[in-house]
Amino acid sequence: MILGRYEVLLEQRTDIRRSSALIVPVASILGALVIAGVFLWLTGRPALSVYARLVSNGYGSWYSISDTLGQATPLILTGLAAAFAFRMNLYNIGGEGQLYAGAIGAAWAGLAIAPHVSGPVAVIAVLVAGMLGGVLWILIPAIARAFLNTSEIVTTLLFNYVALFLMQYLIFGSSSFWRDPDSKNFPQGKPLPEVAHFPQLHFPRDVAGIDFPSGVSRVHLGLGVAILAVLVVWFLQQRTSFGFDMKVVGSSERAARYAGIPIKRTVIAVMLISGGLAGLAGAGEVGGRAYALDPNGLVLGLGYTGIVVAALSRYNPFAVGLVAVLLAGLRTGADALQGATGPLRVPVAIAFMLEGAILLAALGGEVFRRNRLVVRRIREAPA
Amino acid sequence: MGAIDAPVGVRPDHPGAPPAISARRIVKRFPGVVANDCVDVDLRRGEVHALLGENGAGKSTLAAVLCGLYVPEEGELLIDGVRTVLHSPRDGLARGIGMVHQHFRLIERFTVAENVVLGDRTQPLRLRRDRIEDAVAEIAETYGLPLDPRAHVGDLSVGQRQRVEIVKTLYQGARILLLDEPTSVLTPQEADALFTTVRTMTAAGRTVVFISHKLGEVLEIADRVTVMRDGRVTGDVDTGATTREELARMMVGREVDLSPRRARSAAREPMLRVEGLTLTRGGVTSVDGVDLEVRAGEILGIAGVSGNGQRELADLIAGVEAPTAGRITVSGTEVAGKGPRAARAAGLAYVPEDRLGTGLAPALSMVDNMLLTRPRSFLLDRRAARAEAEDIIERFEVKTTGPDAAAGLMSGGNAQKVLIARELDSTDGEHSARVLVAASPTRGLDVGAIETVWGILDGARSRGEAILLISEDLEEVLAIADRVVVLYEGRLVHETTAADASREAIGLAMAGVAP
Amino acid sequence: MIPDLSLASGGINANVWVVALAGAISFGVPLVLAALGEILAERSGVLNLGVEGMMLVGAVSAFLVADATGSPWLALLAAMAAAAALAAVHAFLCVTLRANRIVSGLALVIFGGGVARFVGSSVEGQPRGAEIDPLRIPGLADLPVIGRVVFQQDVLVYATVAVTALVALYIVRTRPGLALRAVGESPATADAAGIAVARVRYVHVIVGGAFAGAGAAYTMLVVVPSWNGSATTDGIGWIALALVVFASWRPWRALAGAIIFGFALRANFTLQAAGIAAVPAEILSMLPYLLTIVVLIALAPTAMRRRAGAPTALGQAYVRDER
Repeated sequence: MILGRYEVLLEQRTDIRRSSALIVPVASILGALVIAGVFLWLTGRPALSVYARLVSNGYGSWYSISDTLGQATPLILTGLAAAFAFRMNLYNIGGEGQLYAGAIGAAWAGLAIAPHVSGPVAVIAVLVAGMLGGVLWILIPAIARAFLNTSEIVTTLLFNYVALFLMQYLIFGSSSFWRDPDSKNFPQGKPLPEVAHFPQLHFPRDVAGIDFPSGVSRVHLGLGVAILAVLVVWFLQQRTSFGFDMKVVGSSERAARYAGIPIKRTVIAVMLISGGLAGLAGAGEVGGRAYALDPNGLVLGLGYTGIVVAALSRYNPFAVGLVAVLLAGLRTGADALQGATGPLRVPVAIAFMLEGAILLAALGGEVFRRNRLVVRRIREAPA
Repeated sequence: MGAIDAPVGVRPDHPGAPPAISARRIVKRFPGVVANDCVDVDLRRGEVHALLGENGAGKSTLAAVLCGLYVPEEGELLIDGVRTVLHSPRDGLARGIGMVHQHFRLIERFTVAENVVLGDRTQPLRLRRDRIEDAVAEIAETYGLPLDPRAHVGDLSVGQRQRVEIVKTLYQGARILLLDEPTSVLTPQEADALFTTVRTMTAAGRTVVFISHKLGEVLEIADRVTVMRDGRVTGDVDTGATTREELARMMVGREVDLSPRRARSAAREPMLRVEGLTLTRGGVTSVDGVDLEVRAGEILGIAGVSGNGQRELADLIAGVEAPTAGRITVSGTEVAGKGPRAARAAGLAYVPEDRLGTGLAPALSMVDNMLLTRPRSFLLDRRAARAEAEDIIERFEVKTTGPDAAAGLMSGGNAQKVLIARELDSTDGEHSARVLVAASPTRGLDVGAIETVWGILDGARSRGEAILLISEDLEEVLAIADRVVVLYEGRLVHETTAADASREAIGLAMAGVAP
Repeated sequence: MIPDLSLASGGINANVWVVALAGAISFGVPLVLAALGEILAERSGVLNLGVEGMMLVGAVSAFLVADATGSPWLALLAAMAAAAALAAVHAFLCVTLRANRIVSGLALVIFGGGVARFVGSSVEGQPRGAEIDPLRIPGLADLPVIGRVVFQQDVLVYATVAVTALVALYIVRTRPGLALRAVGESPATADAAGIAVARVRYVHVIVGGAFAGAGAAYTMLVVVPSWNGSATTDGIGWIALALVVFASWRPWRALAGAIIFGFALRANFTLQAAGIAAVPAEILSMLPYLLTIVVLIALAPTAMRRRAGAPTALGQAYVRDER
């Protein structure tokens, strides 16, 4: 690009400094805060105070940390779902729908299987059914992508809408198995029997002088499942032949064909695992939080935020865990802001706006990590 | 623009007139390399000026600077004696400098005429197709470059596409044409036709810059030669006053042995046998009833112009592609249609023409690339692969930051050494030597790397491997193969021994003319 | 999507299918406008998945400006400008910074959706402040069936047809159109021919965004009576993306496809109006999405055979100094 007498261009770095791995995300978040700050200022809100409240609501107390970890649980899983597929250039953006499908599956298992079995089996049934729900929901896009080369981006996304309407149909539009028959006027999901509820983590009643009212936290078994999923995904990617195949197919399909790696099978397997991870997130929401299939109670956008988590973590499973906690804090913080009064009352959509802004800033920042900006003066010939 | 014999500036040089272009102390850097290091060159009107050098010597970069594609970091260009900065190829064209790239800059879905007028701002906003086609036909005729302006470029042969490029450059009013490795894709006969066109152009006062690494053709066509090595100019001579040997020394800077190599012992039992091999896809038959046999201890060379089924033939034999019909046996095992892993298990190794992207996965480390064509258990064990990578780095003096560096960061020559070494190792060791299919193994490599690769192939032959060499570079086939066959439109049309091959006859066979 | 029943209530006696057809055209307008914008962007080689985000930002801008000024035309302009601004961010990230286009497009959806919901949260559910009224073409409007379907539409419907024709003509028959196609097919070739690749891409991505904004404005001013957060567009940006594939990147096919998709988007109202109540509304609401999926999958074999006109360089960043 030529600007006046200067030439501006990006030059690829031959050495990527390690420190940039930290500087870029931090700069991205700052950049995002500035962008969102503009909108806060435009709507007449004190940006700095809003951010201060956001942070203290998100991470400032044991209560909020427990809340944030509860929120982070599905985000780790949807983030992993996206990261696992994105790494291979398979853009599964249907995490949202797969989460719903997982919730439907999990609720079914909780209602149909759990009453007849003992505790651990019931919980496992809920998890497995949730995972299968997610797998089922990505099956058509996966097969279409592998055999017909149909863009998985649009198909997985469109299935999100189908899942949303399916869930609404099951609770509002019909007297389905999932609906509570006692809820005539205000349809609700049938509550799961207690045996299917995920165990909760109990915090000590009094930590460092801060009272924890119930002692029961929002942290449930799902967090353990999510952490386990991080480890499994990492192991699969780094240490197994399947992970190797993934890497080759993602890096160069021609190389994979040359080496005789079954491309279609790898594509389908990766997408199904990705869907299964998102389905697990849905199982966690049903078994660990809502205890019913509840379209109103389901937190919307967990699947989409998973995409942000994946992109910010540069598809590294451990980073997914950290970023998920970070963004979950943003959500808990924003939830609390929504309930505030006065100029600090901020719509919860600020969380999405910030997430999007962080992602945009990070995309820009990533480029500067890999390239350096060179500004050169052009020596013009005398005219 | 659009002029057929651009009158501006086209006049014979008289003594004392400034050259058409002078480049002074040009420096152009890329991350990690200085591609042009203080380069000087003068191009005079009406001459054929060769830029001679190995791949990577910096001649293509210099050409890109001359035509405005790259802005040099230092140095200056004098056009007709006036200092000028070219910011873009458009700037270059506006001053009459046009480039015909080695990899054609043509759009396959466009017609010849659309390609020619692309970027012409003198065209009216609403394009008049008939007028454009007439103008194109006229230029084509003037310079003896037969073309149908309505044909889609995607349907044209490589030689025809080159003509489109030249017509396009002439249409744009170029009086200085830079031709980047123009003969690398042509049959000997097509190259002759190109030389005639070049002479027609210089006779009309145009300057042709002929960029090449082939000594013979430079001596044949050029009036003057600028030789480059490692980004610097190492010689600037009239072709009448120099010799092949002198040019070679300036170009390489040391003695290089690219003399023919042949098998030193008789070929033994057949290791690879192909019968009636055919591939038809989407109604197009790219490989058509190929029969061949490669014996232990020989190199069978397959010559031919690119796009005549070479890649498909190699992919079929290596199991990457399943044939429509035919049989392939590798040391007695039938492998046709059973996939690459079955072919490998039978003892076949394959060096594909696309080394970084197919043969090696660019984003993977060298260690992981070692594993690419090895059997793997569920749990990955990288220890053996790491040892092998380190061994290859040492044995073949591979320049890399280490076995964990991404393969894509290696230069073409180093990547090729790694690839061939990996493939040969897979048939070495506990197995007896078997079959190697190598497609264009030295394309784009510098002389030093070509020497190494030929040495490796020759060594494998001496150890008794059966090697199928598929190459569009006729020189290469004639230099290291024992027997030569020509592939034309998917069929093998001409067989001879390399030692007494007639270039004329092979050239005709490559062009599809029955000898 | 919340129906504006003004069309359906036009006449209780009117044949529901005639109303459905008229409605399909109306529902098709945002689709075809967004698809045309995406065709322009993709023809230049820049995939922009952010259509839904641009439309949400466009829709909320249209709503707010309509609310403040009462002018549907200012609302239309505001929507186009806002969506174009978001598209410019995408162009900057993808063309200048060469970031991952897919992730950038998704970021646009998330950011655009977030901004729209944030800015629009105080007016959610309120009725719009201006709308575009249908135009009865004298004489023709009273023709049976066709009059109701074609000649009682609003001026933007007619404008959309004209715009489709212009875009088609521009791409195929003009010099800048040739440059556009060249950039989308092979940026290196275009660059060598002296075409400013980056500029062509910027222009078409941004203009494409303005098209999406116009489509969003139409949704806001004609189709949906109030701002309902992300349910306002309800995925039509994504359907428009599928429509581009369906149309093989050709404007007229996009127009035809938009009417089919528009019909599906309206299916629940149509079937309810037709008295076919056996199918629950939620299931009917799935129809457009399922139809789009089916179309995408059914088209795949043809698309693979002919590559269906997808620009060759779609999704490739262009770096001149790449060696």
